[in-house]
Amino acid sequence: MNNNFVELKNISKVFPNIVANDDVSIEVKQGEIYAILGENGAGKSTLMSILFGLYEPTSGSIYIKGEKVKITSPLDANKLHIGMVHQHFKLVDNQSVAENIILGIEPIKKKFGIFPKVDIENANKDVALLSKKYHLDVNPTDLIQDVAVSTRQRVEILKMLYRNAELLIFDEPTAVLTPQEIESLLDIIKSLRDSGKTIIIITHKLDEIKKIADRCAILRKGKLIDVLDVAKSTTKEMASLMVGHDISLQIKKDDKPFGETVLDVEKINTFNKDGVQTLKDVSFSVKKGQILAVAGVSGNGQVEIADAIAGLLKTSSGSILLNGKNINNLSIRERLEEGISYIPEDRHNVGLLLDFTLSENLCLKQYYKEPYCSKHGVLNFKKFDEISNILIDNYDIRCGEEKAKTIVRSMSGGNQQKAIIAREIHSNSDLIIFVQPTRGLDVGAIEIIHKRIAELRNAGKAILLISLELDEIMSLADTILVIYGGEVQTIKDAKDLTKERVGEYMMGVHKSC
Amino acid sequence: MNNIIIESMAFTLPLFIIAIGGIFCEGSGVINLALEGLLGMGAFFGGLIVAAFTSTFIDSQSTLVYISLFSAMVGGALFAMLYALIVLKFQANQVISGVVINMLSVSLTAFLTNQLNISLFNQSSNKFMLFVFPRVTVPFISKIPVLGAFFTDVYVFEFIIVVVASFMAYLLYKTPFGMRLRACGDNPHSVAAAGKNVTRIRFIAILISGAMSGLGGICFAYSISTNFSPSIYVGYGYLAIAAYIFGNWKISNTLLACLIFGFARSIGYFMIQKLSLPSSYSDLVLTFPYVLTLILLLFFSKSNRAPRALGEIYDKGKR
Repeated sequence: MNNNFVELKNISKVFPNIVANDDVSIEVKQGEIYAILGENGAGKSTLMSILFGLYEPTSGSIYIKGEKVKITSPLDANKLHIGMVHQHFKLVDNQSVAENIILGIEPIKKKFGIFPKVDIENANKDVALLSKKYHLDVNPTDLIQDVAVSTRQRVEILKMLYRNAELLIFDEPTAVLTPQEIESLLDIIKSLRDSGKTIIIITHKLDEIKKIADRCAILRKGKLIDVLDVAKSTTKEMASLMVGHDISLQIKKDDKPFGETVLDVEKINTFNKDGVQTLKDVSFSVKKGQILAVAGVSGNGQVEIADAIAGLLKTSSGSILLNGKNINNLSIRERLEEGISYIPEDRHNVGLLLDFTLSENLCLKQYYKEPYCSKHGVLNFKKFDEISNILIDNYDIRCGEEKAKTIVRSMSGGNQQKAIIAREIHSNSDLIIFVQPTRGLDVGAIEIIHKRIAELRNAGKAILLISLELDEIMSLADTILVIYGGEVQTIKDAKDLTKERVGEYMMGVHKSC
Repeated sequence: MNNIIIESMAFTLPLFIIAIGGIFCEGSGVINLALEGLLGMGAFFGGLIVAAFTSTFIDSQSTLVYISLFSAMVGGALFAMLYALIVLKFQANQVISGVVINMLSVSLTAFLTNQLNISLFNQSSNKFMLFVFPRVTVPFISKIPVLGAFFTDVYVFEFIIVVVASFMAYLLYKTPFGMRLRACGDNPHSVAAAGKNVTRIRFIAILISGAMSGLGGICFAYSISTNFSPSIYVGYGYLAIAAYIFGNWKISNTLLACLIFGFARSIGYFMIQKLSLPSSYSDLVLTFPYVLTLILLLFFSKSNRAPRALGEIYDKGKR
């Protein structure tokens, strides 16, 4: 008798045109945290979807506690005490926390002895008890639409626990969380393990694995590469196994002095639609060949800075100068023409038209100009494709067989981001604003994008980088601006700051200007 | 005044039950523009049963009217199955399918009424005659000033509708089925993840909307014209849609909306009589409820929130 909770034996899954899993065998022990690591598209999610009954494997078998089982639907998985927190939460927004948790297995009481009725009072009590037991702080009667992302995730976890899940699968659980929330989630996961649950966590973030996982399976292109003992391996080892070659996150920057000032922001103030001040007298400047990174806890005004410069947000006072010219009253398109490139945080909603082709997306900034558009207002799609094919080659955008005609939605996140960057860099602006450029991307893609940003800097562009990842800021920035509560806490040379020091500024502990 | 109340309730309640059908359907995430066609088809079935039974074995009128209500619900539900087939099985566009169902219903019932009248009953007519629906006056309560009018000369079907409507509200808000149905309208993937069949829930929701529309339709046929004829298609199905949108997809608010429409209509009629307007003006006054609809929607549409997954075709693979 071994103590394996799950054994996947020789699992293969073939989709039309693609082999998602190729003869993968893993064993997960009772009571351990087992990480599955791989790049986007390596087959991690598919493998777990098979275990959760969302897909049926093309071949191979699943054993739970030594017994061979067939899992054809999430219902089967529930019966075997397997639960999963999906990357995209499956919650009903306009129902309460408790209602979401009991959905499908609602407790019933009979009204007047005949009419069955959902026993919501009891459900509220049960959920409150459960949330106390596992230290997952939720209020059972809150509506989902009113609670934060991290609370929603706790609801998803409680959903599994309410169904007495013994094996908990987390699909990229930290992708949507802020650094603090990530810390507390990792603690939750650890305490779940300590209370006897078995946990599988899908991720591509190495430091998280290092922090909590006991063992780690590495998938690459659908194949199982290796299973490592986390305590005995380094993140570097894991990274190179995952990507298939050595990764260097060292950034090469030359020591040229900065050039003339490109962007000069002076005492800008902004308010949100509720009238709350989001930026207070923010001033800074970015010079040619300089990467100015804005650090801060999410929601402290970083996005407002970028939006104010790009023209998405009106400033109530203050001035923004680009190459000495006041752009305060210019429209968004006029600002872009003046020489701003903007890589937005939300690439799906702001950066791309997902259901349009790659070439249309790549030409979004120039389509209205000749030669893309004739004098008489007719678009020239041949030109679109011509320039797109050049960009696809230059920036190594991996798209489908249709090349420039690929629908962007079907591309991986990393390649979507490469497409945006290609488009924005191609317009040859002096100022490039990156907001969270590597959010949700895997190590391989991050490496490429970081190199690209450094190249741009060395080529003399002024770069404003806004990121929630401190590591990213520390490795890229020449100068670091820390913002807290809409106010600049400090602007310093990156060499004079440590990660810990920046963290303190981010919490608003010091203020020095 | 009493007459206005009596008239408006006879209009409000059938409209309300049709709107409830719409709330079930849209609450589960399926757009339902087919209410108009469903109510007509339901009324057609009810009328057909009355016509067939009276000419074959003459039953007592009073049982026959109740049989006709039931058969109208069955007829509406059967026709709704066609809609369900189109939008759930073949995943067609729900807006266009709904409109097509409406047009199909108008021409199909006209054709069938004519043909059945000729072949079965040997008469050339485009209607099925119905009986006068029994009315009751509740003793004592009806004597209360103003409020008593709500209990005076009430069609029996109004009581039936109140009972059915209460049951539907209980079903939607108190039972597990209702909770899952509403969950389907917001995020069907949550229901699928809980191991329930989204398509089956939506199928039942569409059937319910058909049955409720059929019930409302036959009641209109009784109260407005005491016969079934193509004149049943005057847009009450669309008015029911306006009512539940205005009611923010909630049953209680929708009742309020239906009451407003019902009273607006009765007051319109009342004004025609009082002012003894020429008939050309009476048409203008009858636009009253619709103009009111437009104005109300202008004001309330902003704050109203449709079910989040409304009209989204459910696709298991999409995440």
